[in-house]
Amino acid sequence: MTNSNDNKKSLKSFYWLWAILTALGIAVSLYAPGYLMPESMSQTMHLSVLTMVVFSVAAAPVAAGVYAAALYILRNWTHKGDSVPAAGPAFRESGKVVITWTLTSVLLTVFLLIWGLGALAADSAGSTANPLVVKVVGQQWVWSFEYQGQNGTTVMSNDLYLPKGREVLFHVTSLDVTHGFWAPQMGTQVDANDETITDLHVTPNKLGTFDVRCTQFCGLNHAFMVTQGHVLTPSAFTTWLNAQPARS
Amino acid sequence: MNRTKAIGIALTSVLLGGGALALAGYSLASATPHQTAQKCVPNPTKVGHCTLTISSYPDSLAGGHGKDGGAHPDWVSYLNQDLSVPANTVVDMVVNQYDGGEVLNNIFFDQVMGTIGNVAKYDGVTLSKVAPDHVGHTFTLRGYPGLNGQSGKRIFLNVPLIANEGENAVKIGSGEYPKPVVIEFSFKVGSKGVYQWNCEYPCGSSRVGQFGFAMASYGYMAGTLTVE
Repeated sequence: MTNSNDNKKSLKSFYWLWAILTALGIAVSLYAPGYLMPESMSQTMHLSVLTMVVFSVAAAPVAAGVYAAALYILRNWTHKGDSVPAAGPAFRESGKVVITWTLTSVLLTVFLLIWGLGALAADSAGSTANPLVVKVVGQQWVWSFEYQGQNGTTVMSNDLYLPKGREVLFHVTSLDVTHGFWAPQMGTQVDANDETITDLHVTPNKLGTFDVRCTQFCGLNHAFMVTQGHVLTPSAFTTWLNAQPARS
Repeated sequence: MNRTKAIGIALTSVLLGGGALALAGYSLASATPHQTAQKCVPNPTKVGHCTLTISSYPDSLAGGHGKDGGAHPDWVSYLNQDLSVPANTVVDMVVNQYDGGEVLNNIFFDQVMGTIGNVAKYDGVTLSKVAPDHVGHTFTLRGYPGLNGQSGKRIFLNVPLIANEGENAVKIGSGEYPKPVVIEFSFKVGSKGVYQWNCEYPCGSSRVGQFGFAMASYGYMAGTLTVE
């Protein structure tokens, strides 16, 4: 049996391991999204990325504690031989440990809840009185987009064109099976269902191109149900819209 | 079981599992198409042009699916599904449309898009769109840079095929069909890539949106266009 000083000395290596892995986890949480996540082209996407970073940083000490404990136990408490090892003291008998992990779990959960509600409130999508309405139609295996043109006409396109700085209200639907309308750089995704209109708001805040993909496995050519989106200046968007042939 | 033996078994399992995955991946990657691709024929009188002729039928009796239409003789079909064209050429395409038709479920596809001039000739008449309630099929081709490692340019092309309402007049394979509506159009392709095409007229029946059966199976109303 080890004495108290041995235990403290031994636990020191666990704390060091925990600290190092936590620092590593925080570094990955801070820098990896820049390489792994799509470019942010809306406030919605910005908040999504920020939420992921903050949640990852908050989770880093927890994950590091688990990994450090696992490594520490494997290194120090591996039982050799074929005999059944004697049971050690159970954690649940330690009041300090139980209170610490219960309080930590509660605090982390409350933090995630408050952050999530705050992020939802901060995303001002849906607040504009006069958004640009775009009907998004998914069908096997092509996207098409309908706009209100001049004099009540309809304009249709296979590419999604949006003006920068104006709120867009998508009416998302499908003509056959369920599709998934996903614009990664916009941070928006919603199912496109047959005979149902689902609303989705976003305000593009950066010029450039973005991807539009299907996220629901929808049949033979699902993997190729992709197209491009373009965020234009408001004047360029108006020019594009007016140049399109009226469909009705 | 001693530790060395356990480690040996674990390593062997990992190697065998990895080998099986690698074999499956290699087999899929090197799998040949289900049919020999129809090649675009160089046009001797127009430099940089080639001609590709395909046909659409109300069934599978025209010969492409074997004697008496193969497994699904009543399924609508294009005679050739896998097409091959040389890089950086203008493809002059001819579609012989033998099938009837009705109403598109999305009027977006009544318009000719992505061809040179955004027009096609229908029995010699140049049109940019057709009546959406008089469409037999569509030839809708698309490709997106980056998919499958392709480097070619992005393509989105749609040509609606007018419904053929003629009486049966010709025999092809074991099927009888009206005189075809001949649709001609041209489009440019860039460097190498594999593009997907399919019909966007709901002609498959029996599933949501009429996109089942022939519409949901390679070899009938969908295929590839390979730029090589």
